[in-house]
Amino acid sequence: MVIVELATGQELTVAISPVENKDFRQITKKRYSFDWKMERGVADMFKLTIANRSDILGLVSVMDFPVELRLQIRLICASKENIGQGKQYAGIVGCLIAFVGNLALKRFSGLACISLLPKTELRVHYKREYGMVDGGPQLYLDGARLQALVNKYLP
Amino acid sequence: MSYKKLLQEFTPEELAEAFVFPMKLSPKQQRIADQQLSEALRLSREKMTRQERLAGSLMGLRFRMEDYFKSDKPNEDYSFGYFLKLYIQLLERKRREFAAEIGINETLLSQFINRHRMPPDYMPIRLELHSNNTLPAEHWLKIIEKDKEREMLCNKAMMIKKEKKFVTGAISVRL
Repeated sequence: MVIVELATGQELTVAISPVENKDFRQITKKRYSFDWKMERGVADMFKLTIANRSDILGLVSVMDFPVELRLQIRLICASKENIGQGKQYAGIVGCLIAFVGNLALKRFSGLACISLLPKTELRVHYKREYGMVDGGPQLYLDGARLQALVNKYLP
Repeated sequence: MSYKKLLQEFTPEELAEAFVFPMKLSPKQQRIADQQLSEALRLSREKMTRQERLAGSLMGLRFRMEDYFKSDKPNEDYSFGYFLKLYIQLLERKRREFAAEIGINETLLSQFINRHRMPPDYMPIRLELHSNNTLPAEHWLKIIEKDKEREMLCNKAMMIKKEKKFVTGAISVRL
């Protein structure tokens, strides 16, 4: 999985791994927008870093709905310097969503599904950018659409 | 920072490229949302072709193999035989049928699955060909390496005892 450094166009390999207790020293609300400590015990949390570096560039929290063969993305954020036009890297959120897709395929095999509950104004973008489809208020990905997204980010 | 404030600073597209925001629904809204998603998923799964489902299953299997061979230590629960058995189950093939398709007999296949015999060099290649390259030979080979590592670690003390008599002139340097 790679993200692109926008200043140079260079592709950088990233690693996504579970958030550990020691990471909370680094995960401040100022840089990562939400109170991520509230997710502890509620959802599984993962961090995105450039391979072999410790600086966290993005976070995701995921809830498991095994009966429905579904993982729900509760929260995602890119670090403060990666929001908007002046951001350093592109592809952080795409990598995190594809990672959740990878987890879902490993856990639930061919019927795996991922979903998220979007803000109304952002709905159209998630559909266009990640191929998500309407499932009531939630958006979801399964089957060939999920496989295509995972293949795009995890070639 | 609140979502409304962020919307003043960034476009919706920029926000979607950086966030999935927390959303709160009332219990009633949540119940209706769950029902609607469940129905959408049911319809989607009904329409899913066998090929589409199998492709997803094979991707899941490939990712599990990758996680295993990239892990630091061998795991007693996983082996070449474990992943081979999963592959055959995903294909919904009978063992006899599958053995014939890769040109071996059923007994030999069972020996590989039950870890009674290490797979020879041709097996990863045949499995790559059979899976139409969805499970590359390199993946199977790395799993076999992991099996060998586990076996050696289990038997190392006994092997050292057995092999010691064949080695003379050991160097005196220690690191």
